[in-house]
Formats: sequence, structure tokens, C-alpha cells
Amino acid sequence: MDVLGNELNFQYELLLPEIVLAVTAMLIVGLDAFRTELNLGRRTLPGLAILGLVIAGGLSLTWIDSDTDFARLITIDNFTTFFRLLFIATALVIIVGSWEYIERYVAHNAEFYGLLLLSTAGAIYMAAARDLLTAYLALEVLSFSLYTIVSLARNDQRSGEAALKYVLLGGVASAMLLYGLSLLYGVAGSTQYPEIAAALSAGVEDVELPLLLGLVLIVGGLGFKASAVPFHMYAPDAYEGAPLPVTAYLSATSKAAAMALFLRWFAGPLLPAIDDWQWMIAVVAVATMVLGNLVALQQRNIKRLLAYSSIGQVGFMLMAIVTISEVSASALLLHMGGYLVTNLAVFMAVIAFYNQTQKEDIVEFRGLAQTNPFLALVMTAGLFSLAGMPLLAGFLTKFILFQSVVDGGYTWLVMIALIMSTVSLYYYLQVVKQMYLYEPSGNPARWRLSPTGYLATGVLLVATVVLGIYASPLYTAADRATVALFS
Amino acid sequence: MSMEQAWVLPAIPAALFVIIALFNPLIPRRGDFLAVLGMAAVVALVGVILVDFTSAFHDGHFEPVAGENAFSFNWITIGQDFFTIEFSTYVDPITMVMLVVVSFVALMVLVYSVGYMHGEARYGWYFAALSFFVASMLTLVLSGNLIMLYFAWEGVGVASFLLIGFYWERQSAAEAAKKAFITTRIGDVGLLIGIILLWRATGTFDIQQIIAAAQGGEIGETYLTVAMLFLFAGAAGKSAQFPLHVWLPDAMEGPTPVSALIHAATMVVAGVYLVARFSPVFAEVLVARDVVLYTGLITALMAATMGLVSNDIKRVLAYSTVSQLGFMFVALGVGAVTAAMFHLFTHAFFKSLLFLGSGSVIHATHEQEVEELGGLWRKMPVTAATFGIASLALAGIPIFAGFWSKDEILRALFDGGETGAFVVLLATAVLTAIYTTRLFVLTFAGEPRNRQAYDHAHESPLIMAAPLVILATLATVAGFFAIDEVGRALGFAGGIGELVYLEEPHHFSVDWALAGTATAGAVGGVIIGWIFWRGRAERAIAARDWDPALHQLLVNRYYMDNLYQGIINRAIMGLGGVIAWFDKRVVNETGVDGGAQSIGYMGLRLKFLQTGKIPNYALAMAAGVVGLALLAFSS
Repeated sequence: MDVLGNELNFQYELLLPEIVLAVTAMLIVGLDAFRTELNLGRRTLPGLAILGLVIAGGLSLTWIDSDTDFARLITIDNFTTFFRLLFIATALVIIVGSWEYIERYVAHNAEFYGLLLLSTAGAIYMAAARDLLTAYLALEVLSFSLYTIVSLARNDQRSGEAALKYVLLGGVASAMLLYGLSLLYGVAGSTQYPEIAAALSAGVEDVELPLLLGLVLIVGGLGFKASAVPFHMYAPDAYEGAPLPVTAYLSATSKAAAMALFLRWFAGPLLPAIDDWQWMIAVVAVATMVLGNLVALQQRNIKRLLAYSSIGQVGFMLMAIVTISEVSASALLLHMGGYLVTNLAVFMAVIAFYNQTQKEDIVEFRGLAQTNPFLALVMTAGLFSLAGMPLLAGFLTKFILFQSVVDGGYTWLVMIALIMSTVSLYYYLQVVKQMYLYEPSGNPARWRLSPTGYLATGVLLVATVVLGIYASPLYTAADRATVALFS
Repeated sequence: MSMEQAWVLPAIPAALFVIIALFNPLIPRRGDFLAVLGMAAVVALVGVILVDFTSAFHDGHFEPVAGENAFSFNWITIGQDFFTIEFSTYVDPITMVMLVVVSFVALMVLVYSVGYMHGEARYGWYFAALSFFVASMLTLVLSGNLIMLYFAWEGVGVASFLLIGFYWERQSAAEAAKKAFITTRIGDVGLLIGIILLWRATGTFDIQQIIAAAQGGEIGETYLTVAMLFLFAGAAGKSAQFPLHVWLPDAMEGPTPVSALIHAATMVVAGVYLVARFSPVFAEVLVARDVVLYTGLITALMAATMGLVSNDIKRVLAYSTVSQLGFMFVALGVGAVTAAMFHLFTHAFFKSLLFLGSGSVIHATHEQEVEELGGLWRKMPVTAATFGIASLALAGIPIFAGFWSKDEILRALFDGGETGAFVVLLATAVLTAIYTTRLFVLTFAGEPRNRQAYDHAHESPLIMAAPLVILATLATVAGFFAIDEVGRALGFAGGIGELVYLEEPHHFSVDWALAGTATAGAVGGVIIGWIFWRGRAERAIAARDWDPALHQLLVNRYYMDNLYQGIINRAIMGLGGVIAWFDKRVVNETGVDGGAQSIGYMGLRLKFLQTGKIPNYALAMAAGVVGLALLAFSS
């Protein structure tokens, strides 16, 4: 029973996927304590994590097309299912593609896997929450897990420093967000999304000021998670200091979760106040894509390059929030799918490269086309896709996104975005140039990836190409997800 | 095989691309014969489609049974009524001209390449990449909608990038590939904006529907003008028009047959094709059409002057291509689609022949500086004769192909009342005759200036000579297609004017005064060139001292490349640098000095970081929030 005397739905099986993730996480940490006694093999922990993820993913499928909620705190609809699958798949890819890296270069493997699974659960609840506080707690679950795993790089002092920056600034952002949410609560009188929406549509003339301030703080706090300018500054340092799989995870799940929350809030409870926040997001979007892409031109470290490039990509995604509608929300989900696939392809390639060479400067990629043509191909396809070349995921999904923004009446935003994506081609080409146009600096002998390395990069390469040619199924899925969002 | 099934054409080279790219080490001869045979099949199929095409003419008008020349299926549907991306092809006379040019020149170039590229490393990859190019190019000209066109548009761009950079061990080739790619991409952004604008106004990507909507006055004139200008930006990038022309001369770093196919006959005319395709729309917005006219005019003249001073045989041809593309845009700028497509048609033959001829010279002498050549006609008679024919065609000497089409353009200008443009273009035609003669004379006539290169020279093998002879025949007779009787004898309704036209068919006739003036100009140019450079190359080389400033201006291509490089280095990288510096003030420099880390230093850094950096970051965030809040409350 809630305060109004309505029956609450306590079907715990609705939360089963996340329960599985949490239990697996604890199991991993627990088992690791008896590592020597149980004589665990090196593949046990990643294997267990994969098993947990697969089970959770399978369970998620059972709620396709359901539209219910858990105790008015968590919504289980197609939007939730979409992100459940997206986040679980991302974690899976990262573990498959980088368990060797983790074994070698990450301290405390068990904690790493455990926190990765927990943060995935947090990310899912960010997309699924239907209450401000639940959303906030989910965000903190994600954040605290990330603060820790950023610091886990072995023998790299940058890692601790990055984690410190991340946690301190994350605290500032959380404070902002929480203050913003309190103001919103003060204005709307509820933390439940439907009630907030109702309160805001009823009119808020007398509380305009607190609402505006609340919106500003919410944009700032969420902008931090999405690494939107000017709340992005931690990102390049955190990306650079973190172990590579964590960098990949930051650029994928952490960003996508922030965008999911943006969508949930700005297409739901905050939609009635669209006139108050539309231009705010537009300003942030422009700043983000311009700064991200221009500063990326200056980078010499591949992780920092990808950090700035992903900042630029967030700018593109925020455009869809500006013109929020069913079409642009679907386009955003589609683009996010394309971006995750492409970005992970690049990261998995970088990880495979690091496993072999322990190098992460762009110049070190010289001659990769000779020493490992397959990896060079994956990198090139991924980078070209990020730059928006046709026949690859990046073009089609971005094109549909831009189209939806134009449809929403923001042609000028798209013009800036198009110019910036041309700029981006320049720095992506710098990497391609190193791989194809120069002789290898070190040993010119060919080398091979591990079988799982081939699996992860190969699957992502195929997905990048398939999405670039035939995106309909993913779009249909995105469309069904956003219908739930607006209903 | 009918026009409806034309989609098979690109499918053949596309399949060959996959096969050759993946399996060339396993196939005998690395699969070169597959590429050639596949292309021969495409040419044959184009012939079959041509028969179906001619049967669609009724009373001299192209009137196919509804839908018989188009093909489409839904590819991606986005939302219920948001938009649909179709795979669709559309065949009309403009497409047909392109199909003939692309397939035929591609076949010639592939055959020639078997000889030219013999023994190269990555021989198989070369044929795979060429097949990919042909598939993209055929898709481009067959596209019935703008999305598919854009895909193919980028596809030819990628193929061009790969092939310019074919000799990527050479730094200059790598740089040229990148330059071409980025310069054309700048135009492509314009094209994409144009596509989005047109879609926004009409709700469709279908080219014919867009044209119908524009003609029906459904789009506001200013809006349509802007959209067409963006579209033209894409065309100008691809077709190397001022101010985006800078990439084409550098693109000569690619293998010479590639230059013949991609950078003379086919890809670079994609822009001309696009503007011709939209010519009914350009006829509605005359301001945009004037932009096309003057862009073409400036380009034609500027490139011709640069062609006068260059010493690299391929670069002279590249400037010439830029200039001739300018001629085509000038024609489109006065609405003379017939003249533009006709010049595209004849130019494809004689310019690819010139490139293949220069390839023959380079292949034989390993030298491409004209100052080092000379007297080669004794050693390479076939190359010299075919190159000579192509030069006559380019110079616009009567009977040869270029004369007819260039005359059509001049006449369209004259009839259109563009007297000023007419005079400039006529002068450019004279310059064309001069630089063409200079190129021929310095290469083939006179005495050899570099004995070593000369002694090394030999006539090319049959597999290279045969395409030269075939193309030379076409460079001689292709112009006759202007004459209605010739067209009818070939089974068409009439000459080119009866096939490709904007509003009404255009019957062939000769304006003797105009033809006489043009001929006098061309012959005069050839005579000047001949007298000036014949046998006195040394003195002609010394001509640069007459006006060193002018010579420098031309040799440095009006300093436009330097200007662009300056803009990129200073403005763009500079702006990025300023912003990065700003970021660095608050972001510490871990990435840059990663090597200098010791524990002690680290501790110091951490202390510094705790007192300095983190508050700065937080300050930036706070400033962001305050900034947004100020904006919020001031509105």
C-alpha cells in the first residue's frame, strides 16, 4: 500500500535480471576469497561473469512488450528492456574482448568483474526508474562502481589520480543533481514521474524560478555523467588513467545510461516544461560537439582522442533531446546502438593492440596494416563509422538522427553537427594514416589476436557493417521502446 | 535485359570486388581476367539496355511505358510516416550517356592496366579496388533517389582515396589521398545539407518527385536557391571546381590508369552529372544557375593558365581536366544540358586517352617531367599518334570529337546572350590549344633532352596499345554523334540533341561564323604552341624569366593550396589549440609527460592536484551551471 492507499505491485521476478547480476557479482567476489583453496582456473571469474550476464539477458527477454512497474519505483516496459539488453550486451562484449587485458593489467580481478556487473545493474535502473530518488540511487550505484574500477590499473600511477579526480568531481556533480531534484520535488510535490508530469502541466507560474534553477542543476548533473561541455573536464583524464576496458565501459555504458536518463526525464516528467529547457540543451549540445571535435584534433594519445571524440558524439546525441519526439527518441536509441557497436569495435581493437604492444600513443599504431591487417581493418572501419562514412553504422544511424532533428525544426543545429563531423574525419584519418601509410616502428613480424579477441572484434566489425546497410530491425526495436516512453 | 533490370550492372563489379579482394592470392593472375571479363559483360549488358532504351522513343521523345525505366524496393522504413529509404534505379537519356561512358572507359582502362600494372605489388588489390570503384560509379548514375546517390557518392570517394594512395609508401601519395578525401568531403557536407533541405521541403528523397515538386512551385524560391547551392557545393567538390579544385592535381599521385578512369572520365564528372540531373530545378532558380556558370568560367580559365606552366605531364592533363569540367559547368550554367553532356561524352574518350598515353610514356621512360622528355615519336609511334589525335580533339580542331562539343558550349553561351562569358571561354579555348600543343611538342617532338630516358623508351605492348587505338578512333568520331543523321543511322531518334535536352529537342545545325571563329582560335593556338616550343624547348623553358612574378603565381597555383594549408594550420588547428590550451589550464598534462613519472614526483603532483586542479574543474562546472542559470533568468 502506498500513502494514497493504492495497492503496490511487489512482483520480485520483475527485478530478476538485476538480482542475477548482483548475486553473480557477490559470488565472484566470494569465490575469489577462496581462490587458492578451490584451485580456480584463470577463466573461472570471467566465465562466471559471462554466465551471469547471459542468464540476465535471457531473463530480460521475457518482459518484451510488458508494461508494468515494481512498487511504482521501477518501470518494466520496452524502454527498460531495450536498455537492459544494451547494457548487458556491452558488458558481455567488454569481458569477452578484454579478459586477457584484465588478467594482466588490472589489479583485483574479482572486484573488477563484480563491480562491472553491479554498475550494469545501476545503469539499467537509471533507464528503468520511475521515481527521482530511485533514479538518483541507481546513478550512484553506477558511479561508485566506476570510481573504484577506474583506479584498478596495475602499475599505472595515472589510474589512482584519475579515480581521485573522478570521485571528487563526481561528488560535486551528484550534489548539483540532488539539489536540482530537490527543487523539482519542491515544485512538483512528488518524486514520481507521472505526478511530476501532471503537476508541471497544470502550470507552474508561481514557482518558475525554482523550477528553472532545478532544471539548470539537473542538466549540469546529468551533463557530467554524459560528459557534456562544460561538465566534461574529468572525462579525458579519467579515460586516460583508467584501464582500457574501463575506458571503453565509460564511453559506452556510462554515457548511454546518462542518455537513457535524459530521455526518461525529458520525454516524461519534464516534457511539459520543454520551453524552459529546450534551449539549455541546445546550448550544451553545440558547446559539446564543437569543443569535443576541435580539441580531439590536438590529441596524441589514443585514449584521449577517443575521449574527446566521444564527447563530440554526445553533442550529436543531445540534439535529439532538444527536439524530443517519438521520432527523434527512436533515432537517438538507434544512433546509440550504432555508436556503442562502433565505439566498442574501436576500443576492442585498441585493447587487442595494447595486449600485444603495451602502447597507447597514436604514433605507435604505425604500420599496423602490415603487422596485423585484420586489426587495422577493424580500427579503420570503426573510425570511419565514427566519422559517419556511408555503408557503416555511423552514417545511417547518424543520418536518421540528423533527419529527425531537422524534422523537429532545428536545421541550424544539424548544420553545425555536419561541419563538426567533417572536422572529425580529419583526426580519425590521422590514426588511419599511421596504420596504413607508415612502416612499423618496431618488429615488423605479423602477430595474431587471441581467439576471444578475434571473436569480439569480428562480431563488432560485422555489426558495424550490417547496421550501416540494414538498420531496420534495430530501428523497429528502438521504436517500440520509445512508444513506452511517451505513453 | 531491360532498363528496369539495370540494377544488375553495378552488382557484377560489386561481386567481383568481394571475390578479388578476398581471394586474389588463390586465383590465377590474381583475378585480373575476372575484372576484365566482368567489365566486358557490363559493356555488353549496357548494349542490350541501349536497345531497350531506343525502343522507348516515340516521336523523338523519351516516353517509356510508366515505370519501365525505374526499379525500386523499400530498403529501410523509419517510423510509419517519417521517412523511407528506397533502393531505386532510374534510367533516362542522361543516365544512358553516363552508363555508356563509365562502362566503356572502365573496360579500356582495365585492359590497359593488365599491361601497365604488370608486376606491381598488390596487383590483385588494384583490380579489386577498381571493381569497387566501377560498382559505386554505376550505382551513382543509376540511383533514383538521393540517399542511394549519396552512398555511391561516398563510395567513389573512398575508391578514389584508396587508389590515389595506392603507392602509399610514397609520402606524397599518402598526403594527396588525404587531401583529396578531405577536400571532397567538404563538398559532400554541402551535398548532404542540400539533400536534407530538399527532403524537408518535399518529404521525399526520390529525385524525380523532387524535380516535379520544384517545378510545381511547391518550394519557396529562396529556399530552393539555397538548397541548390548546397547541392552544387557537393558537385563542385567532386568535380574539382574553384575553390575546391586543389585536390585534383595532387590526385595524380595515383597509378596513371586510375587517373584516366577516375580523375578524367568518370568520377570527376559526377558533379556535372548531378547538376545535369537537377537541371530542370536549376532552371527554376536562375541565381543558383548563374553561380554554376561563373564558377565554371573561373575554373576553366584559371586551370588553363596553370596548365600552361606545369612541367609534369600528368599535372598538365589534370589542370586540363579541371578546366574542361569548368566548360561543362558553364554549359549547365546557361541551361545547355545537351552541350554539357555531349562534352562530358567526348571528353571522356579523349581525356582518358591522353592519360593512358601519358601512362605509356611514363611506363616506357620512368620520367614524367616534360623538360626531360622530347623526341619520343621515333620510339613510340603508336603512343605519339594516338596522343596527337587526342590533343587535336582537346584543342578543338575540326572533325575531332572535342571540336563538336566545345562548339556546342560556345554556341549555347552566345545564344544565351552571355557575351562576356563567351569571350572568356573562347580565350580559354585558345589557351587550351596552346598548352595542349606545348605538352605534345615537349613530349614527342624535337630532340630528346634526357638521353637516358630516351634510350630506355620503347613502344608499349599490344595490351596497352590496343585501348589507345580504340579510344583514338572514338576521339576522332565521337563528335559526329551531334549530327542527327548519324544518330538515326545508329538506331537512335537523332543526334545527341534529340536524346538529352532540357525542354525541347535540339536539332543539329552549324553556325559557320561561330564555328569559324572557334576553329581559327584553336588553329591559332596550335600554331602559336608549335612555333614557340618546336625544337626550341630550351628557350621556351627560359620563358619563365620573362615575367618571373607571373610565372611564380601560376606555378604556385595562385597560392591557393598554400592559403588552404595556412587556414588549416593556423585557423583550425589554432582554434583547436586555443581550446585545448584552455582545457590544459585546468586539465593536467598527464598524457603529454607520461614518461616523467616517479613516485616522488607523483606525490608532488597529487598535492598540486589537490590544491590546484580539482577546484578548477569544479569551478568550470559551477561556471557552466551559473552561465546556464544566468541565461535562464535573463530570458
